[in-house]
Amino acid sequence: MPRIGGKGYRQRPLRRYGFFVAVAGLLALLLLQTSPRLSQGVEPVRTAASDQLFHVTRPSLIDRISGASAKERRILELEARVRELAQYKALALTMAERLEVYEDILNMQGEPGGAEVTARIMAETNGPFAEALLANAGATNGVQEGYFAENDRGLVGRVVQVGQRSSRILKITDFNSRVPVMGEASGLRAIMYGGRDGLGRLTDLPEQGDFLPNERILTSGEGGLFPRGVVVGHVRDAEGKEIRVDLEMLNGQLSYVRLKPIMSIPVPEAFPVETEVAELTDEDGS
Amino acid sequence: MNWLSSIADSMALRWEAARPRSRLLIGILIVALIGMVGLTPKSLFGVPLAWPYVGLIAAVGWGRSGIGFGPMVVLVMFGFAQDASQAPWGSHGLANLLTYGLSAMVHQMFDTERTPFLSFILPVVTLFSGITLVWFVASISSGHFVRVTPMLTAYFATLVVHMLISPLFDLGIRRSVPSGGGA
Repeated sequence: MPRIGGKGYRQRPLRRYGFFVAVAGLLALLLLQTSPRLSQGVEPVRTAASDQLFHVTRPSLIDRISGASAKERRILELEARVRELAQYKALALTMAERLEVYEDILNMQGEPGGAEVTARIMAETNGPFAEALLANAGATNGVQEGYFAENDRGLVGRVVQVGQRSSRILKITDFNSRVPVMGEASGLRAIMYGGRDGLGRLTDLPEQGDFLPNERILTSGEGGLFPRGVVVGHVRDAEGKEIRVDLEMLNGQLSYVRLKPIMSIPVPEAFPVETEVAELTDEDGS
Repeated sequence: MNWLSSIADSMALRWEAARPRSRLLIGILIVALIGMVGLTPKSLFGVPLAWPYVGLIAAVGWGRSGIGFGPMVVLVMFGFAQDASQAPWGSHGLANLLTYGLSAMVHQMFDTERTPFLSFILPVVTLFSGITLVWFVASISSGHFVRVTPMLTAYFATLVVHMLISPLFDLGIRRSVPSGGGA
């Protein structure tokens, strides 16, 4: 028990006054904020304080522990990408329509459509001999030798053997595969084959010009083995005289592939062309 | 589990030996931690969680030791931090401070006749009055009676948390009043 007149006794009224002064001060502060002008004056302080507090505390501890914040961040990223891609989609559709009109005007021979087949991959051989896939679609499904296979990301390979109900696809990662390709931006042509490290290698490079770093590689359509413009991958780096290509198909799933026909170019007629008109002229002249 | 009990004993001894200022500092840290987490969105399996008014818990706890300048300043500062969300400046500080004063008053009044029942009921009453103050100020400032249910859930959350952590807000001093004095 403190003595009356001691330190505790002297300080007690001071504390009590302090308490009442603080309460009165806070009440006054509350009352002052009933004035709209004063209230607007302190709003920047609130904004600054809120920014600081919420910056420190976001994401919440619970969210951090449960991983919800990472998921939320990922969802936001993906939503942003979807919005961006939607713009590209709209642009692509517009461009496709315009391209169709231009091709009509020019009477251009486009890539032929054909019986496309989606097939499930039943087996995959990655042995030392050949990298091939076995798909569950064959001649009865309309698949023919020479069809090319695509997955959701890009070119997978080419049908090299067709059975009644199955077909074998030689992957572009195989050393023996040869894909005529071109750079999307540079337009340079090359031949791509599969390397041992799962990457593509560009050979038969042009003497002038270089592929651009990270440039997308597409099929060039030369030779008629593949249609033009199918995505193959993108330039990774140069290793000596070889350029390595990251293959897009490896980024997608390989459980299902789309087998598509290639453009078949008819063999040109022998020259000179004997036409019926020529024959008729000969007959009149005779 | 001997090492666990020895750690607990050691911590209890250290807490017993801690000075009021250290205890106040620990209380500040606890309030800051719980308050910071409380500022963030909280939900468990999609169900929003009620968050305790930990400032009121501190006010009730520190009020047991009587009126002091340190706790008063801290409670007002906590009030301003709570006001940063959207409340009028000073509203939470006022609630904290009045709860602190009420806690100091009732503990001084009943200090000599402390029973388990009183030990239970005094925080219940003081916390309820604190929450009611918050509700009252919110209703006045918004111009209508604000919803009672969220306040009640927050009140029960505050009570539960108070039961768990109230010993940490004991400053270990009793600023007792000379006979004939009130708080």
